[in-house]
Amino acid sequence: MDFTLDSHQEAVLEAVGTLLSRHSGPARLHDLGGDEPGYDHDLDKRLAEAGFLDVAEPLSTCRLDAALVLEALSGSLASSAAGWRLLVLPTLDVDVEGPVAVVTESHSGPARFAADADALVVIGDDRVRLVRPDRPIPRVRSRLGWPVGEVTGLSEGGALDGAPAAAVRSWARVAVATEMVGAMQFALDITVRHVSDRRQFDRAIGSFQAVQHGLAECSVAVDGARWLALEAAFTGSASTAAAALTQASEASKLIFRRTHQYHGAMGFTREYDLHLATLRLLALRSEAESFGRPAAACAHEHWGI
Amino acid sequence: MEFDWTEEDLSYRSELQDFLAEELPGRWEGATAVLGSADNAEYSRRFAGLLAEKGWLTPHWPTEWGGTAATPWMLAVLGEELWSRGEPRGPQYMNVNWIGPSIMAHGTPEQCQRYLPPIAAGDVIWCQGFSEPEAGTDLASLRTRAVLDGDDYVVNGSKIWTSYGDIADHCYLLVRTDAQAERHRGISVLLMAMDSPGLVVRPIPGMVGEHSFTELFLTDVRVPVANRLGPENEGWSVVREALSFERVGAPRWARAAYVLDETVRGALEQGRSIDPVAVEAVGVAKTACEAARMLCYRVIDERARDLPPSPHANVARVAMVQAERLVADACAALEGNEIMRYGSDSDLQMRKSLAAGVAAGTYEVQLNLVSRRHLRLPKN
Ligand SMILES: Cc1cc2nc3c(=O)[nH]c(=O)nc-3n(C[C@H](O)[C@H](O)[C@H](O)COP(=O)(O)OP(=O)(O)OC[C@H]3O[C@@H](n4cnc5c(N)ncnc54)[C@H](O)[C@@H]3O)c2cc1C
Repeated sequence: MDFTLDSHQEAVLEAVGTLLSRHSGPARLHDLGGDEPGYDHDLDKRLAEAGFLDVAEPLSTCRLDAALVLEALSGSLASSAAGWRLLVLPTLDVDVEGPVAVVTESHSGPARFAADADALVVIGDDRVRLVRPDRPIPRVRSRLGWPVGEVTGLSEGGALDGAPAAAVRSWARVAVATEMVGAMQFALDITVRHVSDRRQFDRAIGSFQAVQHGLAECSVAVDGARWLALEAAFTGSASTAAAALTQASEASKLIFRRTHQYHGAMGFTREYDLHLATLRLLALRSEAESFGRPAAACAHEHWGI
Repeated sequence: MEFDWTEEDLSYRSELQDFLAEELPGRWEGATAVLGSADNAEYSRRFAGLLAEKGWLTPHWPTEWGGTAATPWMLAVLGEELWSRGEPRGPQYMNVNWIGPSIMAHGTPEQCQRYLPPIAAGDVIWCQGFSEPEAGTDLASLRTRAVLDGDDYVVNGSKIWTSYGDIADHCYLLVRTDAQAERHRGISVLLMAMDSPGLVVRPIPGMVGEHSFTELFLTDVRVPVANRLGPENEGWSVVREALSFERVGAPRWARAAYVLDETVRGALEQGRSIDPVAVEAVGVAKTACEAARMLCYRVIDERARDLPPSPHANVARVAMVQAERLVADACAALEGNEIMRYGSDSDLQMRKSLAAGVAAGTYEVQLNLVSRRHLRLPKN
C-alpha cells in the first residue's frame, strides 16, 4: 500500500499538468463552445504525441497511471474522449486512430463523443463489438459540456473475438468514475474559493457552519470516490469498479446541488466556470446508469444478487 | 502509488483468520449483540488473554512492554479482523490502542510498571471518565474538581455516559486542578481505582444493544498524586495526544460491512426475495463501507510514514459514520418488518448507527474539523 505518487507517476503527472495548463482548462473549453463544446482534436493530438494516451499499454498494472492521467484531464475540463482510450481500449485488441465512443448494445439516443468518433465500442451482454460508422453520426444539441452524437440503429458486425464484455464494462465504469472525480474536484475547489472570498453579513460565507458542513460532506464523498476509482484501476476488480462508480454517482448528486447552492446567482452565469464542471456530471451520471445501475452492480458483484 | 498488501501482511491476516475461525466459530454470540455489555466485557477478559498469549493483543507496543513492534498496517489488519467479528476485545480495545500508549508516553516508571503489564496480559478493564452533565462536545468546560491535600487529590463532581463504569478496574479520569486558569490549562489526568471510597457508580440503561452507560458520582474521592498522569494542569494536551494515537479510531466500517454481509447472506439463505429497492440500498451501503475503508487506509499510510496526524483522519471518521448509517438503512430495507423483532440485524444496526455519530466525537464536530483543517474554510 502506498498512497503517494512514485517518482514515475510524479513525472508523468507533472508533464501532463504542464501540457494541460497550456492547452486545456476552462478558458479552452469556453473557446470550444463552453457548455456546448466541440471536440478538442488538437488536445488529443498533443496528448498522443507526448505519449500520454498509451500509458496503460500493454501492461494492465499501468492502468492506475492511466487513471491518474484521466483524472488530470477531467480536472482540466478537457473536451476529449481520452478516458475511453486510456482505460477501455487496452482491454481490447483493436487499432483505432481517432476518438472512440462507448455505448451498450441497447443504446439509443445521445452519447458522448459519438458524432466525433472514428469507432464505437459497443458492449453487449456477452460480446463486444467495434463499429465503424458507415455514415456520419448526427450531432445532438446538448448543453451539458460535452460534444454529443445521436446513436440510433447500430449497424451489425464488428464482433471482437474473445473480448470480455464484463471486463470492458467494468473498465468503462472505472473510466466514468474517474472522470466524475476530476469534474467534482474542480467544482468543489472553485466553490471553496468562492465561499472563502465572498462576504455577507461582514463575514466570509464559508465561515457559516451550514455552508461548512455541506462542503465538508462533499469533500468526504469526493475523496472516497477518488480512492475507490484509483484502487479499482490498480486492482482491476469488478466489485471495486462498481463501488467506485456508485460512490462517484452518489457524490455527484451532492456536488451538483451544493456547489451551485453556495454560489448563489453567480453559479448561473455562463461566463463563470462552475457550470462547466457541474453540468458535465449530469451527462456522466446518465452514462454511468447506462452500464447498469451502479449500486445494483455493486450488490451483484459482491453477493450475486 | 499502489494498493497491494505485502506478503507479510497477507500471511498475518490469514493466520488471524484461522485463529478467529477456531476461537469464534460461526456467528459468535457477542459479535453483533452485546458490544459494551457486561457479558461482552467479561468475555473480553478471556479472549484478550488468548490474544496476549499469541502476541496479538499489543503487537504495536515496543518490545520493552511486551509488544512486537508491529507495523501500522499489521495493526490495521488486526483491527479490521477483530472489528469484523464484533470486536471480541470489548472495552480492552481502548486499553491497548490509546490508554496504554498514553501511559507509556507520560507515565512515571512506577506507573508504567503498575498499569502496563495487566493491559498487555488482557485482564484489566478501564473506563474513560471524560463527559460530564454540562460538558459534552465542549469537553474543556468540565468541572469535576480535584484539590490537592497532602499526597492526595480530593476529587468532587460527576461524570456521565461512562461506558463500563460498573465493571472497570480503573478510570482514565479528566479533572480540573486549577479553577482560575484558562479552561484548557487547568485540566489534569488522574488514573483512578474504581474501588476508591467515595465513588458511587449508577447504571444508566442504554438503548444500544445491551450497552449500559454509567454515571459516576465522586464525593471526596482521594486519588494519590502519584496517580496523576503527566504534569499538573497539562491534561488537555495529554488527552489530545492520547486520542490521536488512534487517529481514525475503531475501524467501524469493518463491523458495518460484516453486519451488512451477514444480513444479505441471511436473506439469501432464507430464500427471501430481495426487491430492487433493497438491492439499491445494499449496493450503496457496501460502497460506503468500501469508501470508508480506503479513507482509513490513507490515514494508516500516513502513520506508516511517520507523518504527523492530519485532517484525513476526520475525513475517514465522517465516512465511517455515513457507512454505519447506510448499512442501517440497507438492513432495514432487507429485513422489512423483522426490525420489530428485538435483536434482529436491522434492529441492532439501527441502534449502533445512532451511537456512531455521537460517541467518541460527534459527526458535526468531525465536519467542523474537515471544513477548517481539510478545506481550510475561514473561521468566523
Ligand atoms: C454509546 C456511547 C458511549 C459513550 N461512552 C462514553 C465514555 O465511555 N466516556 C465518556 O466520557 N463519554 C462517553 N460517551 C459520551 C460522548 O463522548 C458524548 O456523548 C459526546 O462527546 C457528545 O456530547 P453530548 O452527548 O453531551 O452532546 P452535546 O455536546 O450536547 O451535542 C449534541 C449535539 O449538538 C452538536 N454540537 C455540539 N457542539 C457543536 C458545535 N460546536 N458545532 C456543531 N454542532 C455541535 C453535536 O454534534 C450533537 O449533534 C458515550 C456516548 C455514547 C453515545
